[in-house]
Amino acid sequence: MTCPINGARPITEFAYGGEFRPMPDLQVVEDEAWADYVFHRNSVPGIRREWWCHLPSTTWFIAERNTGSDEILRTYLYGEHR
Amino acid sequence: MTEYLHLMDLSHLPRFGVKGPAAVAWLQSQGISVPDRPNSWKPLSDGGLVARLGLNEFLLEGSAIAPQLAQACQPPPPRVYPVLRQDRAICLRGRAVQELLRQTCNVNFRALDLNTHPVILTTLIGVSVTVIPGEQAGLPFYRIWCDGTFGTYFWSTLAEITAELGGRSDRTTQSP
Repeated sequence: MTCPINGARPITEFAYGGEFRPMPDLQVVEDEAWADYVFHRNSVPGIRREWWCHLPSTTWFIAERNTGSDEILRTYLYGEHR
Repeated sequence: MTEYLHLMDLSHLPRFGVKGPAAVAWLQSQGISVPDRPNSWKPLSDGGLVARLGLNEFLLEGSAIAPQLAQACQPPPPRVYPVLRQDRAICLRGRAVQELLRQTCNVNFRALDLNTHPVILTTLIGVSVTVIPGEQAGLPFYRIWCDGTFGTYFWSTLAEITAELGGRSDRTTQSP
């Protein structure tokens, strides 16, 4: 895996931090949408944005990964996501 | 034998860690010239060094400056946070260092340009480490820091590999 700060490193240096899921706006969210955000997870294989951490430097970043083939498509820092 | 492979324990050197949004400005106000970019280092006037581990995090090591900064940071100024550094700090030196690193670490240190003063954050024998590669008297010279709680395992494993390769390990060596 390639850390956006530290470069290509073996996968053992990284930890998975869960799927990147933008939190709904607490001021306007309906109960149903909030419950969906809190309790439900998407397990369908496909291309997902995920949080990953480079452990030695504790660099958190986003990885786009195909969860069906475990192929990492690209990695970037949170502020750079599009 | 020390020119071939020498493992030295430098944990006794005083260290100081600092982080926070105002850490750069505070270090500069203390007369420290900080590295411009993360993952690089600069030498200090007392023979020590300052390593930039991230945008706002620093590791300083030096017999005079580190204790001086630790004192100056009490109480810490706003948005400056001292970091307790109780690292196991070692030094690897000698012609066979690459042989030891090839067995224990995944980073190809020989591909690095030492003139850019790189700081590498990686794992070595499964332990998260900070590594500064360098050269001393024409021999490869590596400074390595890891969390002190891994210290016994870290030292004994590296000492064992050093011995297997025909090198020497020395726990009481003073700063080279």
